Amino acid sequence: MNRVVSRHWIFLGLFVLVALAMGSGIRLDTPVSDRTAELYDFIESLPEGSVLLVSFDHEASSLPEIRPIGQALLRHAFRKNHRLIGMALLAEGTAIGYRLMQQAAAEYGKEYGKDYAYLGFKPQYIAAILSMGESIPATFPKDYLGRPYESLKALDGVATYADVAGVLSIADGSLTTHWMEYGRARYGVRVVSGVTAAMVTTYDPYLASGQMYAMMGGLRGAAEYEDLIARPGGGKRGMLAQTATHLYVIVLIGLGNLSYFLARRKKETS
Amino acid sequence: MDIGTVIAGVLTLAVLSFLYRDNPVYKMAESLLIGVSIGYTLVVIWSSTLVDLLLRPLFLDGMLPLIIPLVLGLLMFGRFHRTTSSLSRLPIAVMIGSGAGVAIPAMLDARTLKQLSATVMPVVTASGIPDLSAIVIICGVVTTLCYFYFSREHKGALGSAATVGTWFLMVFFGTTFGYTVMSRMSTFIGRMEFLLTEFLHIAN
Amino acid sequence: MNRRVALVICFGFGVVMFAQYFSQHPLARGVNQAVLEYWQIIFAFALLLGVVSFFQNNVRQIRHGSDRPYRIVSLIGLLAMPVVAVIGRIGAGSPFLWIFENVQAPMQSTVFALLAFFVASASFRGFRARSVPAAILLGAAILILLSRSAIGGPLSGWLPDAADWIRHQPSMAARRAILIGIGLGSLTTSLRVIVGIERTWLGGGK
Repeated sequence: MNRVVSRHWIFLGLFVLVALAMGSGIRLDTPVSDRTAELYDFIESLPEGSVLLVSFDHEASSLPEIRPIGQALLRHAFRKNHRLIGMALLAEGTAIGYRLMQQAAAEYGKEYGKDYAYLGFKPQYIAAILSMGESIPATFPKDYLGRPYESLKALDGVATYADVAGVLSIADGSLTTHWMEYGRARYGVRVVSGVTAAMVTTYDPYLASGQMYAMMGGLRGAAEYEDLIARPGGGKRGMLAQTATHLYVIVLIGLGNLSYFLARRKKETS
Repeated sequence: MDIGTVIAGVLTLAVLSFLYRDNPVYKMAESLLIGVSIGYTLVVIWSSTLVDLLLRPLFLDGMLPLIIPLVLGLLMFGRFHRTTSSLSRLPIAVMIGSGAGVAIPAMLDARTLKQLSATVMPVVTASGIPDLSAIVIICGVVTTLCYFYFSREHKGALGSAATVGTWFLMVFFGTTFGYTVMSRMSTFIGRMEFLLTEFLHIAN
Repeated sequence: MNRRVALVICFGFGVVMFAQYFSQHPLARGVNQAVLEYWQIIFAFALLLGVVSFFQNNVRQIRHGSDRPYRIVSLIGLLAMPVVAVIGRIGAGSPFLWIFENVQAPMQSTVFALLAFFVASASFRGFRARSVPAAILLGAAILILLSRSAIGGPLSGWLPDAADWIRHQPSMAARRAILIGIGLGSLTTSLRVIVGIERTWLGGGK
């Protein structure tokens, strides 16, 4: 069977399946998981006007998955009138984070410099996290647009992690680990995160030990969060296609194993 | 449809052409991607770090101690010539030493002790019923650690424990594989959404 | 001589950065802040070094004639970004951001999206339940795939609960053991680097 079905047919099958699913426009309901609800409750329970440090710790490659996650979280935080301070520990996350914050802020009439600010990027993430624990203004003397730290009302009274309610790490890799190992362990800042699905199992031990306060994962997590904030977005739009692709992979695994066991039996009997 | 969307769509299709086979269109797109992404990183590094943390404070605000990292940073470029390449070890030594120093408490506390303490939990509830979840977690951590203990041959009790550890690892790998499939499919779904809605206007 | 100086510097900075963790004295915090700043600046130079190296390598390859069109395109991309950033700045609506959003981000995410196809292909061609451990792996994977799709709950009420249990108990336990192992390994490696036993970072030469 491996010789008959070339990989191009498998590729074509996936392509057609996703195209049909996306083209249908059907939205599927997804019950909210406890983990996503925990993150929602964290942001919801913060007093209005709390300061949240939002760190865009991801690359452009995971943008299709990160965008719905980031949008849902930012919309919720802006709706609660929290003061958001954006930053990035990876160069590519800089532009993406700036754009996501700008778009979400515009939806809720938030003003740059007053309701939110974007500090930009600093390299060597461990040094940046530790440095911010000593002094955020010293680490970011200017914001992403070149304005002095002191000139931004959104940054009033924010000097170290003690002045923020928590760090929201939107990540596609292991950078959230460093927030916990250096930021939380040394300075006690609470860490919550929205991560790509591939990173979910990486952070489960930190969630279980309480080092990470709450976490939401993947497009499914974004869809659940969109339900909670009653703002459908990329997460919900992708659920039918997500379901279809999962079933496709399961069928492929099944077919592959079936052909393997049939071939093995044939070999044993002959 | 604006020109940006057209360019993004064409480049997306150029990259997807690799699925058929490696071809000049894909190679051209890949080369452009490499160049642009390195150029992007250069701009971000320059504006966010070299200007903000070094050049402006040193030359405009007169913070003379910053000459030290400036000199150390310039020593990195010693790598380009045989006679000066050994000088690049000095700034590397600063980075390696600093990183190792801050890593010790982080690894010890956050990654080892906190995880170990989270594993120590009661296996019997107040009502006397065994807590299956706690038993599974303790068993899983201990047997997986046994698997990674290679200083002794995996025989006898250690061998049995290592075998059980293998099963726990397989559950972890299977779970991770499932989530990884989910993640990769999500990325492709996102690109398809762009192609169908913004680029080709086939779907809403 | 140079190697010894580098080892001494590594030892010095390692000890200082480890020791400052245990002190709240203003001097310790000042030293900590300064070293962290120096570290970031030197790292930025290291990235700059990479860019210069890439440029040099491509120019050399263009002179030799290997893959010339592709390397020229790479260099055009590399040089265009700083030029565009200087002329049009990097804020909202700038050409720099435009190139990132319409050239770099779409291509980068599409390259990553290719993995979806290879995962699907590997699922058919590679994943065989040849042994008990392999069957456990596949079983866990299928359970997660079903539960994380929208039909997991409607298919069977116990499916999402079972998948959650798998994720938060046995899978988490194995990952925790891996983390503990990595933590201990990183700890010993850091100590070996500081005291000079681990010297691979010095590279070759005198």
